[in-house]
Amino acid sequence: MFKSEELEINLGPQHPSTHGVLRVKLRLDGETVVSCTPVIGYLHRGLEKICENKTYFQGQVWTDRMDYVAAISNNLGWVEGVEKLFGIETPRRARYIRTMLTEMNRIASHLLWLATHALDIGAMTVFLYAFREREFLLDLFEAFCGARLTTTAFRIGGLREDLPPGFVKQARAFQAIFPERLEEYETLLSENRIWKKRTVGVARITAEDCIALGVTGPVLRAAGVPYDIRKAFPSAAYAEMDFEIPTRPEADTYARYLVRLAEMRQSHRIIQQCLDGLPEGPVMAKIPKILKSEVNEVYHAIEAPKGELGYYFVGEKGGVNPYRMHVRAPSFVNLQALPKMIEGRLLADVIAAIGTLDVVLGEIDR
Amino acid sequence: MRLLKTLIPGDIAAGLMLTGKYFGKVFFSANRKKVRAHLKHFTQEYPEIPVRLAPRFRGRLTLLKDEQGEIKCVCCLACEKICPTQVITIEKGKMEGRKMPYPVRYDFEMERCIFCEFCVESCGFDSIILNHQFELAAYNREDFSLGMEGLGQNMFAPSPVGKYSVAED
Repeated sequence: MFKSEELEINLGPQHPSTHGVLRVKLRLDGETVVSCTPVIGYLHRGLEKICENKTYFQGQVWTDRMDYVAAISNNLGWVEGVEKLFGIETPRRARYIRTMLTEMNRIASHLLWLATHALDIGAMTVFLYAFREREFLLDLFEAFCGARLTTTAFRIGGLREDLPPGFVKQARAFQAIFPERLEEYETLLSENRIWKKRTVGVARITAEDCIALGVTGPVLRAAGVPYDIRKAFPSAAYAEMDFEIPTRPEADTYARYLVRLAEMRQSHRIIQQCLDGLPEGPVMAKIPKILKSEVNEVYHAIEAPKGELGYYFVGEKGGVNPYRMHVRAPSFVNLQALPKMIEGRLLADVIAAIGTLDVVLGEIDR
Repeated sequence: MRLLKTLIPGDIAAGLMLTGKYFGKVFFSANRKKVRAHLKHFTQEYPEIPVRLAPRFRGRLTLLKDEQGEIKCVCCLACEKICPTQVITIEKGKMEGRKMPYPVRYDFEMERCIFCEFCVESCGFDSIILNHQFELAAYNREDFSLGMEGLGQNMFAPSPVGKYSVAED
């Protein structure tokens, strides 16, 4: 009497749980996802091409606009990549401050992830709690560099200015309250039966699949692979820091939640070490006003909150701008795992899967 | 055991205790103090109570004058060159009784400005700053092209801000 056929629907590009303008084409059999195709490009601005027409100094401001919730991590990748290209040595104090701010940015980014991911799944309370702490961090960024999101925090060769007066005190105040605030999120979510029903065993992806697809960051670490650029190829002052790489073997959404919470604890540890061992000295190296490159190419990767963020520069002889610039954006690569995660699962799990990947569309489309 | 766990929702009760604690805190302190204190209140009554900004806040570009009322800018064009979005246009000129060049035109297209402060950083004469203004919305596109002389906005004074509240009328 009733015909049964597959139904094709669009999730997004305006859907609130797609975290931006991500369109996911879904083929459904009842409530089961048969196939899934992410469609991207709605936010494409051609950043790589723009950066090829800007000098090495100017290009940094475009990196703010890629992953706009973790702009400082993007800045770090850019300035360190350019420093590698030109062989510039950064003062130790500048490297410490860079490390500290990047870790604060990691906490801010993970807090935003936790807030929106929980909101998508239905836990509304965490949203406001997490944004409270994020606000504190954004105020610290504003005190340091004058902007909350589009920071342009670092300069090639060091920092523009030293820490503002009162920054260390405020940072210590944050350090004092943050562990108990993390406990609060855990009280709200970790044992909550609704949260567990929505996350445990959902959107599984094995370590082999992760490596085959190039997935990095917390998604890979939640599959049991202890790969972290901060340990594997330490830059800034990460070589002098004492921290661990949290991993989980389960590889589901709940494991990724636990990994990210544990990462926030490790970031907290790193900030504490930076504050305690902040060396004295200058924050800016002597660099020429105009940077002219040789024929040279450089790939520099850092651990952004989403995964491996790599900058690839090709220098031209006597050129003030890169001949070619490419960004290996973690969200872009991680999004490939979405079909693998949700094909054969229920439609409601798609929302959890998009949230758990922690994609930022500004970075995917660039 | 599992049945007992299902019947007595300890996990949800723990969460409710926490939200109840915060509810109590807010319930007994709301609207008592209009202060910006991070550990107590997070909501600010923004338009009525002005926002306190950090000293390094990057707002709108402003040209400066020295004590004699003369424009400090000497047209070295450093800001024009460093600007990532090319929003600054300067026309060099001469003025009677002034050794240094004098800007005849200093145009600033605010609609494209990304507030990165590279221009201020590159200026060797401290003749420009970014002020602390962030309420920069306007009705017309022309209002975003600023210059040294003009009808609506000029580069020396802060931009006009619309009235935010009808409560004062």
